[in-house]
Amino acid sequence: MNDRQEYNTGHPHATPNFRNLIIRPMWITMKTALRTVPFLGRLGILKNNYHGKQVNLKDDFTLSRIGDNHLSEGHTYSADRESTDLLPFLERPVTVMYPYERLEDMEPWLFVPGNYNGRIGIVWETCTACKACVRACPNDCLHMTSEVRVNVLDTAEEGDEWHGYGSEFETGGYAAKPREDFEEIEEFDLVNEHSAVPQQYDFAEVIDISGDTATVRWMDGSGIEEIGTSELKPAETDIVSGRIDMGRCMFCGLCAEACPFESFFMTNEYDGMSGYSRDDLWFDADRTRVLPAVHQERVDMELAKRAKKEKTKREKKAAKAAKEAEA
Amino acid sequence: MASSDWLDIRGWTESIVGWSMDLVYDILPSNDIGLGPLGTLNIQNEFGSIQGALETFIFTTIMCTVVFGTMMITLMVVPYIERKFIARLMDRLGATTTLRSLWIGEGHTTAGQWWNQLPFGIGAIVGWVVKTLNSVAGNESKHIAVDRVHNRGYHGIWFLFPGFFQALADFLKFATKEHIVPAKADRVVFETAPVIIIATTVMVYAFVPFGPHIWAANPELSLVFMMAVFGVAPLGVFFAGWSSNNKYTLIGGMRSAAQLTAYEIPLLVSVLAIAVISGSFNILEIVDFQIETSNTWNIFIMPLGAALFLITMIAEVERIPFDMPEAEAELVEGWWTEYGGIRWGLMFAVEMMRAYAACILFALFFLGGWQLPFEDTLVGLPFVGGIFEMLATATPGVAILLAKAYLMFAFFVWIRASLHRIRTDQILEFGWRWLLPASIVNLAVAILLRLEVWNSTAAGGWPIWAAPVLFGAFIVAFIVLAIDEDEEALELNRRMYHTQTLEKASPGTHRD
Repeated sequence: MNDRQEYNTGHPHATPNFRNLIIRPMWITMKTALRTVPFLGRLGILKNNYHGKQVNLKDDFTLSRIGDNHLSEGHTYSADRESTDLLPFLERPVTVMYPYERLEDMEPWLFVPGNYNGRIGIVWETCTACKACVRACPNDCLHMTSEVRVNVLDTAEEGDEWHGYGSEFETGGYAAKPREDFEEIEEFDLVNEHSAVPQQYDFAEVIDISGDTATVRWMDGSGIEEIGTSELKPAETDIVSGRIDMGRCMFCGLCAEACPFESFFMTNEYDGMSGYSRDDLWFDADRTRVLPAVHQERVDMELAKRAKKEKTKREKKAAKAAKEAEA
Repeated sequence: MASSDWLDIRGWTESIVGWSMDLVYDILPSNDIGLGPLGTLNIQNEFGSIQGALETFIFTTIMCTVVFGTMMITLMVVPYIERKFIARLMDRLGATTTLRSLWIGEGHTTAGQWWNQLPFGIGAIVGWVVKTLNSVAGNESKHIAVDRVHNRGYHGIWFLFPGFFQALADFLKFATKEHIVPAKADRVVFETAPVIIIATTVMVYAFVPFGPHIWAANPELSLVFMMAVFGVAPLGVFFAGWSSNNKYTLIGGMRSAAQLTAYEIPLLVSVLAIAVISGSFNILEIVDFQIETSNTWNIFIMPLGAALFLITMIAEVERIPFDMPEAEAELVEGWWTEYGGIRWGLMFAVEMMRAYAACILFALFFLGGWQLPFEDTLVGLPFVGGIFEMLATATPGVAILLAKAYLMFAFFVWIRASLHRIRTDQILEFGWRWLLPASIVNLAVAILLRLEVWNSTAAGGWPIWAAPVLFGAFIVAFIVLAIDEDEEALELNRRMYHTQTLEKASPGTHRD
């Protein structure tokens, strides 16, 4: 291999030769300047021949990566703003009036690269509140509060419409036992009562399950107990609140790398990260949206992954049960 | 001095000074005055003995003032070219925005009825034109903010070229600013450094002729003297960088010193080649060699030398792509970070002056100085030759020289807008591995041409083939370099960037 191979990224425009380093840049700038000259500016040789034409950013490599469904599909480059022969510079884009216009709308070939670390985007549907991102953040800008809670589906009694759709107990998961002394929160005097807010459940980690009994470790520290699963309800960690202090974020992307569920992204979006006060830079779940297409893809991917996992688990369980039945 | 010009400022000044001194001599008393034991004093005779020296002194002072004034006044064009041309090169149109604002205001109103101030009743016509332009090529933008930005350049005084006197306003602003020396700076050196830089730069213009009859000093070895003075400023830069006691200035000063070694030697060798081919170390004689003796501009017989001189001069005046000492992206402002007020303003002016001097020197050394392009050929044409002869006679040399210098500066700006700043190790490698051998080759070519093709004993100018063959060979080499394509990469034809990242670009993608 020759010397230039080590620099070569594979594209002719990225090869550091005399043409690309000197001739091309100087021709491009001169072309830009000449386009502002009356009459001469309308010459075909000075034109960028993309205005008003169909966007085609697909090549073989891109197609092999992402298939036919490319974002540039059906898009057209904006029309040239030049107006008159005499004054061709008149309607040329002088400055991108950023809040009103966006560069990629006016000159779509100047897209933000996909690997650009921009605004944080989170697919909350697939987030499991493992807090790996919070732990990875060097600037403490991620804040997440999670609780062990009983899902609404799991509280459905027999005869309810949604009974039976709740989750199952699993080893390493959580379980909850309803308290006998629970009084409804509406009856609790928040102002005058000098005691803790009444809790509906006692929570426990499930250590082992054998038949109808489960070995659980109570989370209030009262030790390990074997208890019938009929007394318990399955519980799980839920996100109570997740917020990001964008004012502290340095866009290092460590959080996205830490996420084991592919629900945390650095999007290539540079917009929407400004505000009139520091409080405006606190992003709640609503402001961490990603592109709908990306979002849907990620949710589908994660759901497929979980379904596959669940399927293999159930198959194993059925095989085990069949084996036991044989024995 | 073979070349001549009707704008004979030196001759006029000399005769005026001589005439007025003679007048002073005449009106002085011619009788002997008795001073007793000290003898007698004849004032007229005494004056006569120093008249020659006095005339020279006054004449030189006036010429220095004229040259300095010419330089300072014409210098104002340089930042104007820089701003306006780079705006077009980089698609940021300042002046046309301003021009457009003459007829476009906010919300389809014009920017003040300035045409009413025009004399001779032309205001009515101009006003009609402006209103028509506003209706035909008016601002159709829906955004009031866009109108406001388009309108910002207009200050009600359209007849000042928009932005031309900005440099003057900047100077006034800097002149009124406070002078701050950092607490831990080496004060003596800190104050001395700008003096060194500014003084040596102004000294360069003592040897730069603006025309055949507009120059301050013309020593025998003016080329050597000028290049020596030109090379002092980097020393002042290093002083400034060291004494400011700031990491950015220190790195800037060090970079300046480092790249000095890389470009100064090729620069001097390529200048030496000019001296060899012209047979003189005198700038005026170098110009005369092109106009009178060889009948060809040096750029056509030494294209390689011209390219080398251009590159090394850009490095010498610290402009992009060789502006590492003040790389504002990495070092705040490089070696002049800690300077403020009039010192900063003067050093900025000096930067412009050095670039301007480089352009004038290129025009003098390679573009035939104050000769019109292809003057001899055009004058020799049948029928129309007389027109060109009249043109060549009527145009003062200083106008032609400055036009060439401004064109060269526009080229500098073009390079600045197009190329990126190169790294320290890159300029060192470029300087030592490419510029220095190339300049020595250029010197060898110059010596060969001087000895074999043209020498002072041979009659007439260059053989007819010399300039076209040399220039053509250079152009061919340039094209060969320019079409340097990577065939393998072209075959692969892959894009530089991914248009969209669906694969996560990080380690640890947890796929089953």
